[in-house]
Amino acid sequence: MRVPSNKICWLAALVMAVLVLTFVLVGSGLDMDYVIPKRLLRLASIALGAICVAVSAIVFQTLVNNRILTPAIMGYEAVYLLWQAMLLLLLGTQGLAMLGARGNFLVSVLLMLAYSWALQWWLLRRGRNDVYVLLLLGLVLTMVIGTFTQFVQLRISPGEFAVFQGVSYTSFNRAKPQTLLYAALVAVVICAVVRKTLPVLDVLALGREQAISLGVPHGRYLQLYLALIAILVALSTSLVGPTAFMGIFVANIVYALVPHARHRTTLPLGCAVAMAIFLVAQLLVEHVFNYKTTVSILVNLVCGVYFLALVVRKRGAA
Amino acid sequence: MMGVHHLCKQYGGRAVLSDVSVEFPAQRVTSLIGPNGAGKSTLLMAMARLLEPSSGAIRWQARDVNRIPVAEYARHVATLRQAPGFNMRLTVEELVAFGRFPHSRGVLTAEDRRAMDEAIAFLSLEPLRHAFIDEISGGQRQMAFLAMTIAQQTDVLLLDEPLNNLDMKHAVQIMRALRRLCDEQGRTVILVIHDINFAVNYSDHIVALKHGALCFSGPAQDVVTEDRMAALYELDFEITRNRRGCFCNYFTPREDQS
Repeated sequence: MRVPSNKICWLAALVMAVLVLTFVLVGSGLDMDYVIPKRLLRLASIALGAICVAVSAIVFQTLVNNRILTPAIMGYEAVYLLWQAMLLLLLGTQGLAMLGARGNFLVSVLLMLAYSWALQWWLLRRGRNDVYVLLLLGLVLTMVIGTFTQFVQLRISPGEFAVFQGVSYTSFNRAKPQTLLYAALVAVVICAVVRKTLPVLDVLALGREQAISLGVPHGRYLQLYLALIAILVALSTSLVGPTAFMGIFVANIVYALVPHARHRTTLPLGCAVAMAIFLVAQLLVEHVFNYKTTVSILVNLVCGVYFLALVVRKRGAA
Repeated sequence: MMGVHHLCKQYGGRAVLSDVSVEFPAQRVTSLIGPNGAGKSTLLMAMARLLEPSSGAIRWQARDVNRIPVAEYARHVATLRQAPGFNMRLTVEELVAFGRFPHSRGVLTAEDRRAMDEAIAFLSLEPLRHAFIDEISGGQRQMAFLAMTIAQQTDVLLLDEPLNNLDMKHAVQIMRALRRLCDEQGRTVILVIHDINFAVNYSDHIVALKHGALCFSGPAQDVVTEDRMAALYELDFEITRNRRGCFCNYFTPREDQS
Protein backbone atom coordinates (compact mmCIF):
# COMPACT_ATOMS: atom_id res chain seq x y z
CA MET A 1 0.00 0.00 0.00
CA ARG A 2 1.34 3.39 -0.93
CA VAL A 3 0.50 6.57 0.93
CA PRO A 4 -0.13 9.30 -1.61
CA SER A 5 2.71 11.60 -0.62
CA ASN A 6 1.53 14.15 -3.18
CA LYS A 7 -1.68 14.58 -1.26
CA ILE A 8 0.21 15.07 1.97
CA CYS A 9 2.37 17.73 0.38
CA TRP A 10 -0.67 19.62 -0.87
CA LEU A 11 -2.25 19.35 2.54
CA ALA A 12 0.97 20.65 4.12
CA ALA A 13 0.97 23.63 1.74
CA LEU A 14 -2.65 24.39 2.60
CA VAL A 15 -2.08 24.18 6.34
CA MET A 16 0.97 26.37 5.94
CA ALA A 17 -0.97 29.04 4.05
CA VAL A 18 -3.70 29.13 6.71
CA LEU A 19 -1.17 29.32 9.53
CA VAL A 20 0.85 32.06 7.88
CA LEU A 21 -2.23 34.15 7.17
CA THR A 22 -3.50 33.66 10.72
CA PHE A 23 -0.12 34.58 12.11
CA VAL A 24 0.25 37.74 10.08
CA LEU A 25 -3.33 39.01 10.14
CA VAL A 26 -5.18 37.95 13.30
CA GLY A 27 -5.60 40.87 15.68
CA SER A 28 -3.33 43.06 13.58
CA GLY A 29 -6.03 45.57 12.72
CA LEU A 30 -4.31 45.61 9.31
CA ASP A 31 -1.74 48.01 10.71
CA MET A 32 0.77 48.27 7.88
CA ASP A 33 3.13 50.59 9.70
CA TYR A 34 4.07 48.64 12.77
CA VAL A 35 2.27 45.39 13.56
CA ILE A 36 2.42 43.67 10.19
CA PRO A 37 6.06 44.53 9.34
CA LYS A 38 7.06 43.30 12.81
CA ARG A 39 5.14 40.11 12.26
CA LEU A 40 6.65 39.58 8.84
CA LEU A 41 10.07 39.88 10.43
CA ARG A 42 9.16 37.26 13.00
CA LEU A 43 7.71 35.12 10.21
CA ALA A 44 11.07 35.32 8.41
CA SER A 45 12.84 34.25 11.61
CA ILE A 46 10.44 31.35 11.96
CA ALA A 47 10.85 30.25 8.36
CA LEU A 48 14.63 30.43 8.49
CA GLY A 49 14.82 28.69 11.87
CA ALA A 50 12.46 25.98 10.65
CA ILE A 51 14.46 25.33 7.49
CA CYS A 52 17.73 25.13 9.42
CA VAL A 53 16.31 22.81 12.07
CA ALA A 54 14.52 20.48 9.66
CA VAL A 55 17.27 20.15 7.05
CA SER A 56 20.06 19.72 9.60
CA ALA A 57 18.11 17.12 11.60
CA ILE A 58 17.02 15.00 8.62
CA VAL A 59 20.41 15.06 6.92
CA PHE A 60 22.12 14.27 10.23
CA GLN A 61 19.85 11.30 10.85
CA THR A 62 20.61 10.00 7.37
CA LEU A 63 24.36 10.27 7.95
CA VAL A 64 24.32 8.44 11.27
CA ASN A 65 21.53 6.07 10.16
CA ASN A 66 19.68 6.65 13.40
CA ARG A 67 16.31 8.26 13.97
CA ILE A 68 16.61 9.36 17.56
CA LEU A 69 19.60 11.66 17.23
CA THR A 70 19.80 15.34 16.37
CA PRO A 71 22.77 17.57 15.67
CA ALA A 72 22.22 18.91 19.20
CA ILE A 73 24.06 15.80 20.39
CA MET A 74 27.23 17.14 18.81
CA GLY A 75 27.34 20.00 21.29
CA TYR A 76 26.87 23.02 19.01
CA GLU A 77 24.19 24.48 21.24
CA ALA A 78 26.28 23.81 24.33
CA VAL A 79 29.09 25.86 22.82
CA TYR A 80 26.61 28.66 22.09
CA LEU A 81 25.28 28.69 25.64
CA LEU A 82 28.79 28.61 27.14
CA TRP A 83 29.76 31.55 24.97
CA GLN A 84 26.72 33.56 26.06
CA ALA A 85 27.38 32.74 29.71
CA MET A 86 31.06 33.66 29.36
CA LEU A 87 30.11 36.96 27.72
CA LEU A 88 27.89 37.80 30.66
CA LEU A 89 30.53 36.77 33.18
CA LEU A 90 33.38 38.67 31.56
CA LEU A 91 31.66 41.73 30.16
CA GLY A 92 28.32 41.83 31.97
CA THR A 93 25.12 43.00 30.37
CA GLN A 94 26.86 46.13 29.04
CA GLY A 95 29.25 43.87 27.18
CA LEU A 96 26.36 42.16 25.48
CA ALA A 97 24.98 45.54 24.49
CA MET A 98 28.41 46.67 23.28
CA LEU A 99 28.87 43.65 21.05
CA GLY A 100 25.41 44.29 19.62
CA ALA A 101 22.99 41.71 18.28
CA ARG A 102 24.81 41.48 14.96
CA GLY A 103 28.24 41.12 16.54
CA ASN A 104 26.99 38.46 18.91
CA PHE A 105 25.34 36.61 16.03
CA LEU A 106 28.51 36.64 13.97
CA VAL A 107 30.80 35.58 16.81
CA SER A 108 28.41 32.81 17.88
CA VAL A 109 28.23 31.40 14.36
CA LEU A 110 31.99 31.49 13.97
CA LEU A 111 32.55 29.85 17.34
CA MET A 112 30.18 26.98 16.55
CA LEU A 113 31.83 26.47 13.18
CA ALA A 114 35.29 26.50 14.76
CA TYR A 115 34.10 23.90 17.27
CA SER A 116 32.68 21.66 14.55
CA TRP A 117 35.78 21.90 12.41
CA ALA A 118 38.04 21.24 15.38
CA LEU A 119 36.04 18.07 16.09
CA GLN A 120 36.33 16.86 12.52
CA TRP A 121 39.97 17.83 12.20
CA TRP A 122 40.77 15.84 15.30
CA LEU A 123 38.93 12.86 13.91
CA LEU A 124 40.59 13.09 10.51
CA ARG A 125 44.04 13.44 12.01
CA ARG A 126 43.54 10.06 13.60
CA GLY A 127 42.70 8.72 10.19
CA ARG A 128 39.30 7.47 11.25
CA ASN A 129 36.10 8.32 9.53
CA ASP A 130 33.91 6.66 12.06
CA VAL A 131 30.61 8.39 12.72
CA TYR A 132 30.22 6.72 16.08
CA VAL A 133 33.49 8.03 17.46
CA LEU A 134 32.37 11.49 16.37
CA LEU A 135 28.99 11.05 18.07
CA LEU A 136 30.54 9.78 21.29
CA LEU A 137 33.01 12.63 21.37
CA GLY A 138 30.23 15.14 20.66
CA LEU A 139 28.05 13.71 23.41
CA VAL A 140 30.84 13.80 26.00
CA LEU A 141 31.83 17.34 25.00
CA THR A 142 28.18 18.43 25.23
CA MET A 143 28.12 17.33 28.84
CA VAL A 144 31.52 18.80 29.68
CA ILE A 145 30.64 22.15 28.12
CA GLY A 146 27.22 22.06 29.79
CA THR A 147 28.87 21.63 33.17
CA PHE A 148 31.19 24.55 32.49
CA THR A 149 28.18 26.65 31.56
CA GLN A 150 26.47 25.74 34.82
CA PHE A 151 29.60 26.70 36.69
CA VAL A 152 29.70 30.06 34.95
CA GLN A 153 25.99 30.57 35.70
CA LEU A 154 26.77 30.32 39.40
CA ARG A 155 29.23 33.17 39.08
CA ILE A 156 26.96 35.69 37.37
CA SER A 157 24.53 38.02 39.09
CA PRO A 158 20.77 37.28 39.16
CA GLY A 159 20.17 40.09 36.69
CA GLU A 160 22.66 38.67 34.26
CA PHE A 161 21.20 35.23 34.84
CA ALA A 162 17.80 36.52 33.71
CA VAL A 163 19.44 37.78 30.52
CA PHE A 164 21.13 34.41 30.09
CA GLN A 165 17.81 32.62 30.46
CA GLY A 166 16.47 34.87 27.75
CA VAL A 167 19.09 33.71 25.25
CA SER A 168 18.75 30.06 26.21
CA TYR A 169 15.10 29.93 25.10
CA THR A 170 13.88 29.71 21.56
CA SER A 171 12.58 33.12 20.57
CA PHE A 172 11.71 34.77 17.29
CA ASN A 173 11.91 38.35 18.46
CA ARG A 174 15.67 38.47 18.68
CA ALA A 175 16.81 38.60 15.08
CA LYS A 176 17.44 41.94 13.36
CA PRO A 177 16.52 42.39 9.67
CA GLN A 178 20.14 42.59 8.61
CA THR A 179 21.29 39.43 10.39
CA LEU A 180 18.23 37.69 8.99
CA LEU A 181 19.23 38.71 5.50
CA TYR A 182 22.79 37.39 5.88
CA ALA A 183 21.55 34.18 7.45
CA ALA A 184 18.98 33.73 4.68
CA LEU A 185 21.65 34.11 2.00
CA VAL A 186 23.83 31.46 3.62
CA ALA A 187 20.86 29.15 4.12
CA VAL A 188 19.85 29.52 0.47
CA VAL A 189 23.34 28.53 -0.67
CA ILE A 190 23.33 25.48 1.62
CA CYS A 191 19.87 24.43 0.48
CA ALA A 192 21.03 24.71 -3.13
CA VAL A 193 23.98 22.41 -2.40
CA VAL A 194 21.73 19.90 -0.62
CA ARG A 195 19.22 20.07 -3.45
CA LYS A 196 21.90 19.30 -5.99
CA THR A 197 23.04 16.25 -4.05
CA LEU A 198 19.63 14.81 -3.06
CA PRO A 199 20.23 11.43 -4.78
CA VAL A 200 23.58 11.13 -2.95
CA LEU A 201 21.74 11.54 0.35
CA ASP A 202 19.40 8.70 -0.62
CA VAL A 203 22.41 6.48 -1.33
CA LEU A 204 24.10 7.48 1.94
CA ALA A 205 20.97 6.30 3.75
CA LEU A 206 21.86 2.76 2.60
CA GLY A 207 24.90 2.81 4.86
CA ARG A 208 28.62 3.36 4.34
CA GLU A 209 29.49 0.12 2.58
CA GLN A 210 26.61 0.17 0.13
CA ALA A 211 27.30 3.83 -0.60
CA ILE A 212 30.95 3.20 -1.48
CA SER A 213 29.95 0.20 -3.55
CA LEU A 214 27.60 2.49 -5.48
CA GLY A 215 30.40 4.94 -6.12
CA VAL A 216 29.75 7.57 -3.46
CA PRO A 217 32.97 8.59 -1.69
CA HIS A 218 31.48 8.26 1.77
CA GLY A 219 34.18 10.03 3.78
CA ARG A 220 34.20 13.11 1.61
CA TYR A 221 30.40 13.50 1.63
CA LEU A 222 30.31 12.88 5.37
CA GLN A 223 32.64 15.83 5.88
CA LEU A 224 30.71 18.01 3.47
CA TYR A 225 27.36 17.33 5.11
CA LEU A 226 28.69 17.64 8.66
CA ALA A 227 30.10 21.04 7.72
CA LEU A 228 26.76 22.09 6.22
CA ILE A 229 24.91 20.84 9.30
CA ALA A 230 27.28 22.80 11.54
CA ILE A 231 26.52 25.98 9.60
CA LEU A 232 22.76 25.37 9.69
CA VAL A 233 22.74 24.66 13.42
CA ALA A 234 24.96 27.66 14.08
CA LEU A 235 22.55 29.86 12.08
CA SER A 236 19.40 28.62 13.76
CA THR A 237 20.90 28.70 17.25
CA SER A 238 22.10 32.25 16.95
CA LEU A 239 18.89 33.37 15.27
CA VAL A 240 16.22 31.77 17.43
CA GLY A 241 18.14 30.13 20.28
CA PRO A 242 18.60 26.45 21.11
CA THR A 243 15.84 24.19 19.83
CA ALA A 244 17.06 20.97 21.47
CA PHE A 245 14.80 18.07 20.52
CA MET A 246 12.74 19.87 17.90
CA GLY A 247 14.80 18.15 15.18
CA ILE A 248 13.86 14.66 16.37
CA PHE A 249 10.16 15.52 16.44
CA VAL A 250 10.20 17.12 13.02
CA ALA A 251 12.13 14.30 11.37
CA ASN A 252 10.05 11.54 12.92
CA ILE A 253 6.75 13.25 12.16
CA VAL A 254 7.88 13.43 8.53
CA TYR A 255 8.91 9.76 8.47
CA ALA A 256 5.51 8.86 9.92
CA LEU A 257 3.67 10.97 7.32
CA VAL A 258 5.61 9.67 4.31
CA PRO A 259 7.27 6.39 5.35
CA HIS A 260 8.88 5.49 2.06
CA ALA A 261 9.76 8.87 0.70
CA ARG A 262 13.18 9.96 -0.43
CA HIS A 263 14.97 13.10 0.60
CA ARG A 264 13.43 15.14 -2.18
CA THR A 265 10.12 14.78 -0.32
CA THR A 266 11.21 14.49 3.29
CA LEU A 267 13.37 17.62 3.32
CA PRO A 268 10.75 20.11 2.04
CA LEU A 269 8.03 18.44 4.09
CA GLY A 270 10.31 18.60 7.13
CA CYS A 271 10.71 22.36 6.62
CA ALA A 272 6.93 22.70 6.42
CA VAL A 273 6.35 20.65 9.55
CA ALA A 274 8.98 22.58 11.50
CA MET A 275 7.49 25.86 10.37
CA ALA A 276 3.98 24.75 11.29
CA ILE A 277 5.13 23.75 14.76
CA PHE A 278 6.94 27.04 15.30
CA LEU A 279 3.96 29.02 14.00
CA VAL A 280 1.47 27.21 16.22
CA ALA A 281 3.71 27.66 19.24
CA GLN A 282 4.26 31.35 18.52
CA LEU A 283 0.52 31.92 17.91
CA LEU A 284 -0.27 30.28 21.22
CA VAL A 285 2.37 32.32 23.03
CA GLU A 286 1.08 35.56 21.53
CA HIS A 287 -2.67 35.12 21.62
CA VAL A 288 -3.48 32.48 24.20
CA PHE A 289 -0.78 32.64 26.83
CA ASN A 290 -0.08 36.33 26.42
CA TYR A 291 3.70 35.82 26.58
CA LYS A 292 3.45 34.04 29.93
CA THR A 293 5.19 30.97 28.56
CA THR A 294 7.95 30.38 26.02
CA VAL A 295 8.04 28.86 22.58
CA SER A 296 10.50 26.18 23.76
CA ILE A 297 8.11 24.82 26.34
CA LEU A 298 5.18 24.85 23.93
CA VAL A 299 7.20 23.24 21.15
CA ASN A 300 8.20 20.40 23.43
CA LEU A 301 4.61 20.05 24.61
CA VAL A 302 3.00 20.17 21.15
CA CYS A 303 5.61 17.97 19.49
CA GLY A 304 5.76 15.54 22.34
CA VAL A 305 2.02 14.98 22.41
CA TYR A 306 1.73 14.68 18.64
CA PHE A 307 4.70 12.34 18.43
CA LEU A 308 3.31 10.11 21.17
CA ALA A 309 -0.07 10.08 19.44
CA LEU A 310 1.59 9.00 16.19
CA VAL A 311 3.45 6.18 17.88
CA VAL A 312 0.35 4.98 19.71
CA ARG A 313 -1.80 5.16 16.58
CA LYS A 314 0.78 3.23 14.55
CA ARG A 315 0.98 0.56 17.22
CA GLY A 316 -2.79 0.29 17.20
CA ALA A 317 -2.90 -0.06 13.42
CA ALA A 318 -0.18 -2.70 13.28
CA MET B 1 42.18 -8.58 -14.79
CA MET B 2 41.99 -8.17 -11.06
CA GLY B 3 44.81 -8.99 -8.73
CA VAL B 4 46.38 -8.13 -5.40
CA HIS B 5 50.11 -7.75 -4.89
CA HIS B 6 51.88 -8.16 -1.56
CA LEU B 7 48.77 -7.06 0.27
CA CYS B 8 49.06 -6.63 4.05
CA LYS B 9 46.51 -5.47 6.58
CA GLN B 10 47.21 -4.98 10.25
CA TYR B 11 44.86 -4.08 13.07
CA GLY B 12 46.99 -2.69 15.85
CA GLY B 13 49.94 -5.07 15.81
CA ARG B 14 47.96 -8.06 14.59
CA ALA B 15 48.31 -9.02 10.95
CA VAL B 16 45.04 -10.07 9.34
CA LEU B 17 46.53 -10.34 5.87
CA SER B 18 50.23 -10.82 5.35
CA ASP B 19 51.85 -10.55 1.95
CA VAL B 20 49.00 -11.96 -0.12
CA SER B 21 49.55 -11.95 -3.88
CA VAL B 22 46.97 -13.54 -6.11
CA GLU B 23 45.43 -13.06 -9.54
CA PHE B 24 41.72 -13.47 -10.16
CA PRO B 25 40.96 -14.79 -13.66
CA ALA B 26 38.57 -12.73 -15.77
CA GLN B 27 35.11 -14.06 -16.64
CA ARG B 28 35.35 -16.85 -14.11
CA VAL B 29 33.70 -17.60 -10.78
CA THR B 30 36.33 -17.53 -8.06
CA SER B 31 35.65 -18.68 -4.50
CA LEU B 32 37.63 -17.43 -1.55
CA ILE B 33 37.70 -20.22 1.02
CA GLY B 34 39.38 -20.88 4.33
CA PRO B 35 38.64 -21.21 8.03
CA ASN B 36 37.25 -18.38 10.16
CA GLY B 37 39.72 -15.57 10.67
CA ALA B 38 41.71 -16.49 7.58
CA GLY B 39 41.28 -12.99 6.15
CA LYS B 40 38.90 -13.86 3.30
CA SER B 41 36.46 -11.07 4.01
CA THR B 42 39.28 -8.63 4.71
CA LEU B 43 40.75 -9.39 1.30
CA LEU B 44 37.37 -8.95 -0.38
CA MET B 45 36.68 -5.69 1.51
CA ALA B 46 40.08 -4.34 0.50
CA MET B 47 39.30 -5.15 -3.13
CA ALA B 48 35.93 -3.42 -2.73
CA ARG B 49 37.78 -0.41 -1.27
CA LEU B 50 35.76 -0.62 1.90
CA LEU B 51 38.94 -0.77 3.93
CA GLU B 52 42.39 0.59 3.40
CA PRO B 53 45.20 -2.03 3.19
CA SER B 54 48.27 -1.33 5.33
CA SER B 55 50.57 -1.97 2.39
CA GLY B 56 50.57 -3.59 -1.01
CA ALA B 57 48.54 -2.85 -4.12
CA ILE B 58 45.25 -3.90 -5.68
CA ARG B 59 45.17 -3.70 -9.44
CA TRP B 60 42.24 -3.67 -11.77
CA GLN B 61 43.19 -4.00 -15.44
CA ALA B 62 46.76 -3.10 -14.54
CA ARG B 63 45.66 0.12 -12.81
CA ASP B 64 46.19 0.75 -9.12
CA VAL B 65 42.67 0.99 -7.74
CA ASN B 66 43.59 3.85 -5.42
CA ARG B 67 44.09 5.98 -8.51
CA ILE B 68 40.60 5.24 -9.82
CA PRO B 69 37.90 7.59 -8.50
CA VAL B 70 35.28 5.81 -6.36
CA ALA B 71 32.52 6.90 -8.76
CA GLU B 72 34.29 5.34 -11.74
CA TYR B 73 35.27 2.20 -9.83
CA ALA B 74 31.59 1.57 -9.05
CA ARG B 75 30.88 1.25 -12.78
CA HIS B 76 33.39 -1.61 -13.02
CA VAL B 77 33.26 -3.37 -9.66
CA ALA B 78 30.12 -3.96 -7.57
CA THR B 79 30.13 -5.20 -4.00
CA LEU B 80 27.48 -6.94 -1.98
CA ARG B 81 27.92 -7.52 1.70
CA GLN B 82 25.28 -9.19 3.77
CA ALA B 83 22.00 -7.38 3.25
CA PRO B 84 22.44 -4.35 5.47
CA GLY B 85 19.72 -2.91 7.66
CA PHE B 86 18.67 0.67 7.04
CA ASN B 87 15.83 2.96 7.89
CA MET B 88 14.42 3.63 4.45
CA ARG B 89 11.39 1.65 3.41
CA LEU B 90 11.98 0.49 -0.13
CA THR B 91 10.33 -1.80 -2.61
CA VAL B 92 12.40 -4.35 -4.47
CA GLU B 93 12.18 -2.19 -7.58
CA GLU B 94 13.38 0.92 -5.74
CA LEU B 95 16.28 -1.04 -4.29
CA VAL B 96 17.28 -2.32 -7.71
CA ALA B 97 17.09 1.25 -9.01
CA PHE B 98 19.90 2.16 -6.61
CA GLY B 99 22.12 -0.18 -8.61
CA ARG B 100 21.90 2.30 -11.46
CA PHE B 101 23.25 5.17 -9.35
CA PRO B 102 26.86 4.85 -10.57
CA HIS B 103 25.62 5.31 -14.14
CA SER B 104 22.86 7.83 -13.84
CA ARG B 105 23.52 9.60 -10.52
CA GLY B 106 19.90 9.33 -9.45
CA VAL B 107 17.92 10.25 -12.57
CA LEU B 108 16.73 7.06 -14.25
CA THR B 109 16.98 6.89 -18.03
CA ALA B 110 15.33 4.39 -20.37
CA GLU B 111 18.64 2.51 -20.44
CA ASP B 112 18.56 2.29 -16.62
CA ARG B 113 15.01 0.95 -16.65
CA ARG B 114 16.05 -1.71 -19.15
CA ALA B 115 18.97 -2.78 -16.95
CA MET B 116 16.65 -2.92 -13.93
CA ASP B 117 14.09 -5.03 -15.81
CA GLU B 118 16.84 -7.35 -16.94
CA ALA B 119 18.23 -7.80 -13.44
CA ILE B 120 14.77 -8.43 -12.00
CA ALA B 121 13.91 -10.90 -14.76
CA PHE B 122 17.30 -12.59 -14.41
CA LEU B 123 16.53 -13.55 -10.82
CA SER B 124 12.80 -14.12 -11.49
CA LEU B 125 11.87 -11.44 -8.99
CA GLU B 126 9.00 -10.10 -11.10
CA PRO B 127 6.27 -11.19 -8.63
CA LEU B 128 8.07 -9.36 -5.81
CA ARG B 129 8.76 -6.22 -7.76
CA HIS B 130 6.52 -3.98 -5.67
CA ALA B 131 6.95 -5.79 -2.35
CA PHE B 132 8.72 -3.97 0.48
CA ILE B 133 12.09 -5.48 1.25
CA ASP B 134 11.40 -5.53 4.99
CA GLU B 135 8.32 -7.65 4.37
CA ILE B 136 9.86 -10.48 2.32
CA SER B 137 11.87 -13.47 3.53
CA GLY B 138 15.62 -13.41 4.12
CA GLY B 139 16.30 -15.42 0.99
CA GLN B 140 14.15 -13.17 -1.16
CA ARG B 141 15.82 -10.10 0.34
CA GLN B 142 19.24 -11.50 -0.51
CA MET B 143 17.98 -12.03 -4.07
CA ALA B 144 16.73 -8.45 -4.19
CA PHE B 145 20.12 -7.13 -3.09
CA LEU B 146 21.81 -9.35 -5.64
CA ALA B 147 19.49 -7.92 -8.29
CA MET B 148 20.66 -4.43 -7.31
CA THR B 149 24.27 -5.53 -7.70
CA ILE B 150 23.50 -7.13 -11.07
CA ALA B 151 21.73 -3.99 -12.28
CA GLN B 152 24.94 -2.11 -11.63
CA GLN B 153 26.21 -3.94 -14.76
CA THR B 154 29.81 -4.15 -13.69
CA ASP B 155 32.50 -6.46 -15.06
CA VAL B 156 33.33 -7.66 -11.57
CA LEU B 157 31.03 -8.68 -8.72
CA LEU B 158 32.42 -9.07 -5.21
CA LEU B 159 30.14 -10.97 -2.85
CA ASP B 160 30.73 -11.52 0.84
CA GLU B 161 29.10 -14.75 2.01
CA PRO B 162 26.02 -14.44 -0.21
CA LEU B 163 24.64 -17.74 1.10
CA ASN B 164 24.67 -16.84 4.77
CA ASN B 165 21.46 -17.80 6.58
CA LEU B 166 19.81 -19.08 3.41
CA ASP B 167 18.02 -22.39 3.05
CA MET B 168 19.29 -24.92 0.51
CA LYS B 169 16.83 -23.90 -2.19
CA HIS B 170 17.72 -20.22 -2.09
CA ALA B 171 21.41 -21.06 -1.83
CA VAL B 172 21.23 -23.17 -4.98
CA GLN B 173 19.19 -20.46 -6.70
CA ILE B 174 21.79 -17.82 -5.95
CA MET B 175 24.75 -19.98 -6.94
CA ARG B 176 23.07 -20.92 -10.23
CA ALA B 177 22.40 -17.27 -10.89
CA LEU B 178 26.06 -16.42 -10.31
CA ARG B 179 27.11 -19.24 -12.61
CA ARG B 180 24.81 -17.91 -15.33
CA LEU B 181 26.08 -14.37 -14.85
CA CYS B 182 29.53 -15.65 -15.59
CA ASP B 183 28.64 -18.03 -18.43
CA GLU B 184 25.98 -15.98 -20.22
CA GLN B 185 27.16 -12.44 -19.59
CA GLY B 186 30.88 -12.94 -19.14
CA ARG B 187 31.08 -11.29 -15.76
CA THR B 188 33.79 -11.99 -13.22
CA VAL B 189 32.39 -13.18 -9.90
CA ILE B 190 34.52 -13.32 -6.76
CA LEU B 191 32.85 -14.55 -3.60
CA VAL B 192 33.66 -15.48 -0.04
CA ILE B 193 31.93 -18.73 0.77
CA HIS B 194 31.92 -21.13 3.69
CA ASP B 195 30.11 -24.07 2.18
CA ILE B 196 32.96 -25.96 0.54
CA ASN B 197 30.62 -28.06 -1.57
CA PHE B 198 29.05 -25.02 -3.18
CA ALA B 199 32.53 -23.62 -3.77
CA VAL B 200 33.80 -26.76 -5.46
CA ASN B 201 30.73 -27.40 -7.59
CA TYR B 202 30.03 -23.88 -8.79
CA SER B 203 33.38 -22.14 -9.15
CA ASP B 204 36.09 -22.31 -11.77
CA HIS B 205 38.83 -21.07 -9.55
CA ILE B 206 39.60 -21.45 -5.85
CA VAL B 207 41.68 -19.18 -3.67
CA ALA B 208 42.34 -20.59 -0.19
CA LEU B 209 43.56 -18.44 2.69
CA LYS B 210 44.76 -19.55 6.10
CA HIS B 211 46.03 -17.36 8.96
CA GLY B 212 46.05 -14.31 6.68
CA ALA B 213 48.32 -15.88 4.08
CA LEU B 214 47.67 -17.55 0.76
CA CYS B 215 47.39 -21.32 1.25
CA PHE B 216 46.82 -22.38 -2.34
CA SER B 217 45.03 -21.18 -5.45
CA GLY B 218 44.21 -22.59 -8.84
CA PRO B 219 41.47 -24.17 -10.97
CA ALA B 220 38.89 -25.84 -8.77
CA GLN B 221 39.27 -29.24 -10.45
CA ASP B 222 43.02 -29.33 -9.81
CA VAL B 223 43.50 -27.83 -6.39
CA VAL B 224 40.69 -29.47 -4.46
CA THR B 225 42.31 -32.60 -3.09
CA GLU B 226 41.81 -34.45 0.15
CA ASP B 227 45.29 -33.58 1.42
CA ARG B 228 45.04 -29.88 0.66
CA MET B 229 41.59 -29.55 2.18
CA ALA B 230 42.64 -31.48 5.27
CA ALA B 231 45.58 -29.15 5.75
CA LEU B 232 43.47 -26.04 5.15
CA TYR B 233 40.65 -26.84 7.55
CA GLU B 234 42.48 -29.26 9.87
CA LEU B 235 39.68 -31.73 9.27
CA ASP B 236 39.56 -35.15 7.70
CA PHE B 237 38.13 -34.93 4.16
CA GLU B 238 36.78 -37.56 1.84
CA ILE B 239 36.20 -36.28 -1.69
CA THR B 240 34.07 -38.27 -4.07
CA ARG B 241 33.40 -37.30 -7.65
CA ASN B 242 30.51 -38.51 -9.72
CA ARG B 243 28.40 -37.58 -12.70
CA ARG B 244 26.67 -34.71 -10.91
CA GLY B 245 29.74 -33.19 -9.39
CA CYS B 246 32.08 -33.37 -6.53
CA PHE B 247 31.23 -34.02 -2.91
CA CYS B 248 33.47 -33.21 0.02
CA ASN B 249 32.54 -35.12 3.12
CA TYR B 250 34.04 -33.76 6.29
CA PHE B 251 31.06 -34.37 8.57
CA THR B 252 32.24 -37.70 9.92
CA PRO B 253 35.98 -38.18 10.45
CA ARG B 254 37.41 -41.62 9.73
CA GLU B 255 37.40 -43.93 12.72
CA ASP B 256 41.15 -44.13 13.19
CA GLN B 257 41.59 -40.36 13.29
CA SER B 258 38.85 -39.31 15.59
